[in-house]
Amino acid sequence: MIGTLGHAALSLAFVSAIFATWFYYRAAQQGGEKNEAIANALFFLKGAFTLFASGLLVYLIFSHQFQYYYVYNYTSSDLQNVYLWAAFYSGQEGSLLLWILSSFLVGLAIIKWTSPIYRAPVMMFMGLTQVFLLSMVSGFPIPGWGDLGASPFRTLASEMPDAPVFQQNPDFVPAEGSGLNDLLRSPWIIIHPPVIFLGFAMMTVPYAFALASLWKRKYHEWIHAALPWTLGANLCLLTAIFLGGYWAYVTLSFGGYWAWDPVENASLVPWIFGMAGIHAMLIQKKHASSHKASIIFAILAYVTIVYQTFLTRSGILGDSSVHSFVDLGLYNHLLLFMLVTAAIGVGMLIYRYRELPEPKKESPVLSREFMMFSGAMILFLVGLVIILGTSSPVLGRLFVDNPTPPDQQFYNNWTLPFGILIGLMTVVTQYLWWKRHDAESLASALIAPTLGASVITIAAVMLVNMNNLAYMIYLFAGVFAVIGNGIVMIKLGRRNPRRAGGTITHIGFAILMIGFLGAAFDRPMVDSQTREYNRAVAAGQVTDDDGFRVNQPIEFVEIEKDRPKLIDGRYMVTFKSAEITEDNRPGEQEYEVQFEDVESGRTFVMRPTVYPMLSNSSPGAVEWTVDPDVRTGWFRDIFMYVAGSSLVDREIARMERENPSQFQSVDQLGPQMADHDPDETKTRVRRGSTIDMGGYSISFRNFIYIDEAELPEGSIIGVKADLEITDSASGESWELQPRYILASDDDAQYAINPAEELPFMDEGMVRFTEIHPDSDEIELAFRGIDGEPEREWILLAAEHKPMISVVWLGTFLLMFGFSVAIIYRWADQKKREKHENEFGPPSENGNDTDDLSSKNKIEGKDEVPV
Amino acid sequence: MRPRLLFGIIGIIAFTTLVMINFSQSISSYVDFEQAATLSGDNIHVVGTWDNSRPAQFSNETMTFSFYMKDEAGNSRRVTYPRPKPNNFEQADQIVVIGEMRGETFVSRDMLVKCPSKYNDATTPDLSGM
Repeated sequence: MIGTLGHAALSLAFVSAIFATWFYYRAAQQGGEKNEAIANALFFLKGAFTLFASGLLVYLIFSHQFQYYYVYNYTSSDLQNVYLWAAFYSGQEGSLLLWILSSFLVGLAIIKWTSPIYRAPVMMFMGLTQVFLLSMVSGFPIPGWGDLGASPFRTLASEMPDAPVFQQNPDFVPAEGSGLNDLLRSPWIIIHPPVIFLGFAMMTVPYAFALASLWKRKYHEWIHAALPWTLGANLCLLTAIFLGGYWAYVTLSFGGYWAWDPVENASLVPWIFGMAGIHAMLIQKKHASSHKASIIFAILAYVTIVYQTFLTRSGILGDSSVHSFVDLGLYNHLLLFMLVTAAIGVGMLIYRYRELPEPKKESPVLSREFMMFSGAMILFLVGLVIILGTSSPVLGRLFVDNPTPPDQQFYNNWTLPFGILIGLMTVVTQYLWWKRHDAESLASALIAPTLGASVITIAAVMLVNMNNLAYMIYLFAGVFAVIGNGIVMIKLGRRNPRRAGGTITHIGFAILMIGFLGAAFDRPMVDSQTREYNRAVAAGQVTDDDGFRVNQPIEFVEIEKDRPKLIDGRYMVTFKSAEITEDNRPGEQEYEVQFEDVESGRTFVMRPTVYPMLSNSSPGAVEWTVDPDVRTGWFRDIFMYVAGSSLVDREIARMERENPSQFQSVDQLGPQMADHDPDETKTRVRRGSTIDMGGYSISFRNFIYIDEAELPEGSIIGVKADLEITDSASGESWELQPRYILASDDDAQYAINPAEELPFMDEGMVRFTEIHPDSDEIELAFRGIDGEPEREWILLAAEHKPMISVVWLGTFLLMFGFSVAIIYRWADQKKREKHENEFGPPSENGNDTDDLSSKNKIEGKDEVPV
Repeated sequence: MRPRLLFGIIGIIAFTTLVMINFSQSISSYVDFEQAATLSGDNIHVVGTWDNSRPAQFSNETMTFSFYMKDEAGNSRRVTYPRPKPNNFEQADQIVVIGEMRGETFVSRDMLVKCPSKYNDATTPDLSGM
């Protein structure tokens, strides 16, 4: 019932979006307040229907109506309210809804604030994107073809009509949902996706404005209105990228904040193109040139959002991304969406290309417009390289069949030189931006930052023993950019701090650049023995049992409880305790690991957690996930997690005991387990003899052959050891018959030695691990009666990560700079509109900016002596 | 032709050539174990699934995780991985290991675990037990 309502609401929203787009088209083509009023009404209606449908979906989720596929797939009744809320956009359909809702809000702002010249055409393009997005979730019934897109209101029964349950009982409702992925149960999911979709929605605005300018042949004014939106979109994308990176770093144990994963690149590339667009628009504003570039970048920024959406949601990235979506049957939809947005952009650009204003004369190389334009071009090239890498499943086919994604080295190698160029150019451009310079005056102005950067770079190179020339140049460029832009900012801050946004972003970017270099100096923190081993591995001196060279260093250390170990030559690390806290999830464990800095004598405690992913696992094969702990420092972080522990092993054993049907599956097969269980004590006993061990005497009386009928499939032969175990103190005795079964599959023989529980001891076990026919002995592995307490250990994986805080600092400065710029540009645009209302619109080609004097009345004092 | 334009065109051609050459070198091809045995280098990508009929465990002695993986042609080989078992391992419907073949063992230096549910669970719900 509610499902039908939701289905209908989304279908109506889809229809409203189509009509709204049509009426915006009429309004833009013929003018007339009436058309636009109808279009606006339809746009509101679309928004209302979408909101209503979203409300219904949220209601279905909160009332646990598991007959709906979406509710079944992403929630369960034990979820906390915040995660039920987040489940609304945890799946593909819901996240598209969130995108549509964000676009609706942006549309409202445009209706309210955009000048009438551009309003209707801009809204037409906004409406068009809505039609596409809505078509993917509407489930709009098309007679003779089926429903359009994947509706979030699909029922389980319609999703899998062939499932036996539904054939027996079409009204079957599962009692419990499959639950939200454990990795998504993190507070970050509340904020990360909404910000990213707000960024996507805002990035539609410059696209719509650029196309509107081509349509209405008003090539200049649009940038004033589009600039704050582009800045806003970039701020949102940056914030979302930061949140995603931080999330990955502190809780997901991806090992860092960035991995060049296609999903990450999907928001990075539009951000880079948005940056290029912002620079092109600023040139256009100041110099009345680069009209083409502004339009091209505005179109590209949005088209890449759609392109990357296509890559990540169509299933095409299948093999290459650890986190891309599975195809929901939207492949053709997404392809069409992408082709149409790109075709409209390119088509209109070509149609009007000859008409677009050309600069009257070529700018000299040492002019702000030329330098800035080159900067925008470099950003564009960086974006292209990243797109190329991300598109390897498609473009890689030019070179090989079944292409894999490129090595991360591909991205690193290309972004490094571009980073150097960008760092150097920000300074030169900023100097030219605020003051006219010739080569000589520029050179003398650059002396200070060059000297400063050289001194700092040389000092840093000697301090950290850097021996890579490319890194040195990169570091120099970063420091140079910090100092150069810093000088500009200080001067600007005194005179006109409202305009400092751009300078602050450049400093932020430069600091970010320096921070990125830290990743090249990540180092696993291990004890001296492992370090020696790793040194030998690096020198190629280590070979494995088969004589092959080992080239993987060991990155973690086993630490026993209360036995400190010196790690990284500097920290005395003690494993203090492990307990099952169940803080956030059932079965969650918390570890207490103390670090003592032997240089300073300071101690601190880190508390990583480990938890079983119960909602994602089948009962027999529970998977475990680690949640690292990070100790943040100004110049370096310590990142650590527990990669394994005796407690986890015991819990796994306990879960397997409680699921006896699964007991034989993994742990019980094969000889390796026997060799490596660190808690077992092994002993040999001759037939007919008795040994003493840990307060018990164990006598091995004889072999008992197992009847073939009792053997599992594939086994060759099986024997039992007839044991008698006597408690030496009380004289009580028990009989036990652990089994040893020799089995084989196609090409290998292996032994199965299932554990027998010791009836007199909790968690005590015995396994029959080997037969030695020559000496008539058997080998038994005991757990629990070796006389010693069970060993408590953890595998500590700790990493020394320099400059992470510097990365965050750079990001925050970028965000702050964007915010300052948005406020300034918004106010500037308002002032401009007011000015136009009082004094009439500026001349048609909008050349209000070529010489400094005419501009000053709008923008205030322009020159800053640098 | 203006010199700046000429300069730009040459730059673009050089850039494109360099990028494409570098790109073609940094990608490789997904193969199966038998093909992997004939290839050299340690950047061989093999796609497959976890062979859960055989043991998989982490060894504290050698600090490696080893398991059996079945490639798309159905060959099952032992695979070693120099880190603890990755998240989502059991749940993965596909595993990509990157490394080289040494005799009958695939020594991986990296592993991608592909789960349908990392963000979006499109697996068919297991309704049999209900």
